[in-house]
Amino acid sequence: MNQISQQVLDISVQYLGPAAERFLERQTRAHLNGLLFTDLQKSHIPELTSWIRISAALIIDKKKADEFALKISRLG
Amino acid sequence: MTAWQHSLQTKLTVSFIVLILVVSGLTFVFTYGESKTALKETTQDELRGLASVIATQIDGDAMATLRPGDEETPEFLAIRNQLDTIRLSNPDILYLYTMRQVGDTVEFIVDADYGTDDGAAIGDVYDAVNSPLLAGFVAPSVDSEFVTDQWGTILSGFAPVRDSSGAVVGLVGVDMDSNRVIQRQDFVGSTIFIVIGIAVLIAGGLIALFSRTIIRDIRTLNATANAISTGNTNVSVDVERKDEIGELADSFGRMAASLKIMMDSDPEAK
Repeated sequence: MNQISQQVLDISVQYLGPAAERFLERQTRAHLNGLLFTDLQKSHIPELTSWIRISAALIIDKKKADEFALKISRLG
Repeated sequence: MTAWQHSLQTKLTVSFIVLILVVSGLTFVFTYGESKTALKETTQDELRGLASVIATQIDGDAMATLRPGDEETPEFLAIRNQLDTIRLSNPDILYLYTMRQVGDTVEFIVDADYGTDDGAAIGDVYDAVNSPLLAGFVAPSVDSEFVTDQWGTILSGFAPVRDSSGAVVGLVGVDMDSNRVIQRQDFVGSTIFIVIGIAVLIAGGLIALFSRTIIRDIRTLNATANAISTGNTNVSVDVERKDEIGELADSFGRMAASLKIMMDSDPEAK
């Protein structure tokens, strides 16, 4: 896992727990042209952020999903 | 739903109110006791000072000459009028009189009330002699406790009256009605009681409010856990706090989110 993937995962675990990696894999595969989460680059962060904001809001509180997405966007 | 008597809110509120009542009760007992003592000591100091001042204003030479039957003499009337004037100018004084020691007995000389039903004549023996009264023939003194005699329950101050040569010829006694002192003590007690009562009500209200918010959030977490335990993962933890319960809610939220993701059978769904 590269550094940016690890940083995204570290933040995601705070909101989604141990299933965070599975969640991120789904996001990158489904919305970033089948990209493996472990191959994530800084350039993917803006698009990943917008999908995280939408998808996380279906799992956790919307306010927390926005906070989560904001933290991810700062990595870009 | 938990029965109210087993509810954490009831237990917290009752525990804190009992704690507050115990603390405020002890505070009341201590403060009231101290205030009562301080008030009595202040009254005693006032009485002692008043008796000392009055004693210096009485003509000791004239007083020393008075004998039973002299109640209509100018000397007697002058002292009686003087005492009466002093008493009228000070509403705290109930009785004002002079006395002397004759052998083992103490008798009245001039009583400001002479001529009324309560008034004593020259030579009338005073039966309720106590040590503060006897000490008053030597130096200013005051009763340590309220004294009950035929004139009522009073607190008295005494000071020696001297003639022109400086010899003690008697004493002046100043009586204060116990009701005045007791009224003051009751006022202080009532004020403390009211202040503590208001404080207990405010504290009780705050505790009830505080415990209510805690219980509300615990109930929310409990409802979410119940939903997940029955297979409904479509829930979110709606608890916003900065304290330990907030941390618990965050942990719970992570757990719920993980379960939701893991239980989602369609990998492309989210």
